[in-house]
Amino acid sequence: MFDLVFWLPVMAGGALAGASSGLLGTFIVGMRIPFLGVCVAHAALAGAVFGSLCGLEGQALLIPALGGSILTALALGLLDPQRFQLDDNVVLSFLFSATMGLAFLGIGLHGILGRNDNDVRSLLWGSLSFCRWRDVGLMLAAGGALLFYVIVFFKELRAIMFSRADAAAAGIRANAVWTGFLVLVAVVLTVNFQTVGGLMIYSLISNPAAAAFQLVKGCRRALALAAIFGAASGLGGFLISAVTDLPSGAVIVLVSSTLLAVAAVLRRLYWAGRRF
Amino acid sequence: MTSPAVEIRNLTVHAARRCLLEVECLQVPARQIAAIMGPNGAGKTTLLRACLGLVTSFQGQVRVLDCNIARLSARALAQLRCRVGYVPQLLPTHGELPLTVREVVAIGRTGRAGLFRSFSKTDWQCVDEWIDRLGLAALSNRAFSEISGGEQRKTILARAMAQQPELLLLDEPAANLDIGWRERIIDIIQTLHAETSISVVLVCHELEVIPSSCRRVFLLDHGRMIASGSPESVFTDGRVAALYGAGLRVMHEGGRHAVLPQGGEHV
Repeated sequence: MFDLVFWLPVMAGGALAGASSGLLGTFIVGMRIPFLGVCVAHAALAGAVFGSLCGLEGQALLIPALGGSILTALALGLLDPQRFQLDDNVVLSFLFSATMGLAFLGIGLHGILGRNDNDVRSLLWGSLSFCRWRDVGLMLAAGGALLFYVIVFFKELRAIMFSRADAAAAGIRANAVWTGFLVLVAVVLTVNFQTVGGLMIYSLISNPAAAAFQLVKGCRRALALAAIFGAASGLGGFLISAVTDLPSGAVIVLVSSTLLAVAAVLRRLYWAGRRF
Repeated sequence: MTSPAVEIRNLTVHAARRCLLEVECLQVPARQIAAIMGPNGAGKTTLLRACLGLVTSFQGQVRVLDCNIARLSARALAQLRCRVGYVPQLLPTHGELPLTVREVVAIGRTGRAGLFRSFSKTDWQCVDEWIDRLGLAALSNRAFSEISGGEQRKTILARAMAQQPELLLLDEPAANLDIGWRERIIDIIQTLHAETSISVVLVCHELEVIPSSCRRVFLLDHGRMIASGSPESVFTDGRVAALYGAGLRVMHEGGRHAVLPQGGEHV
């Protein structure tokens, strides 16, 4: 029988992770840097791995994970792509490979030093089924902070989404606002990461936002629809997995991918209809 | 006496041990249109970016609207940039962008509105006014990525004008446009200048883009200024042939200018 008391925080966690990832995904996909999610997630993993090597375990691993992801976010935000003549995606690929290398080095060191790495390994894939109200509270706090930031700096983030260089040239404090946003991305993804895992984070950032872009015009509408699609992917995917007994993470990823495919088909049908 | 809109002295810009730009003296008087011309790679865009403080390492003095760029704090530089409208050469046009034309024009007001403040009614009125003045009203709710290249240029021009700038910097405003759109953009620039009396610095490599009201041209080649003055005095047959190759001649008529192949009138 479906134990609602047990599964309610799981459903809330899935919906919250989806909504917050969809919200930040709107800016990340709009700027064509969806790789940012995986990069920050691996930086969090590297932080957690070295935290574990230092003897931390369980929920305490969140602290070094946050440290790793925030450091990476700051490096990305403060590194001026114009000065170094590097594309954001090139910087991301450098940071991603470096943090992934560090994470797997740390996992290897666990074996060499004979340490237990179960906590760290569970972070790789997440554990949505073990999401409790305490985790939901953390996700809610991180998501709330992100929402507040997006509301306060909406016009600046909209300009940065169009072009960070143009925004700076128009007198917008683009680097400061962007770096602040990246730090919040790091916090939200790290908090979500321990529950939903790295693979799901990537799909929940990219797919709901990309689906929203297919269907609506305007930044506010895209943000709202991406958050709804993200929440629907998280909640819908979980419910389908509960009914079919399939792995929840995989089903959530597939639901968000299906949403994007359906949105792309609907857009094509709309344009085909307008031609005739 | 009014200070020049742009004043450059002994400017040198290096990148990767290569000198990109070396300009001894350049002055754009206030309320005038000036054109910075030259072949590809002459340093035109670098010069424009230096005026915006977007070139991070340079030597010399760049004064824009009476502010010394090198001495400005990040906050003061942002405030100066709010007074300068900029139309870049390359436009971000990827299909994923959900922004409407109105939202893109509104970017021009964002710096002026300031942090922690949402747009006032006046800000939106200014945005809509420039959308109307540039004939974009019918497109204002369309996605920026879905409109034509010429319409996108007009949108970016409206964005720059929504800043209510004292100086307008245009980098290849007619790039990739057909002749019809090119002429419309030139006409818009002339009209804006006549109506608002703002200073305009225009970067281009085609003589045909120079508006008739532009009476001052700076010619760059390999990062150095090789001539300045009126378009007629700068663009002589000999200089154009030396810069772009033999077999070309220049035509000046009614304040507009064009380069033709020798014997072009018979073709």
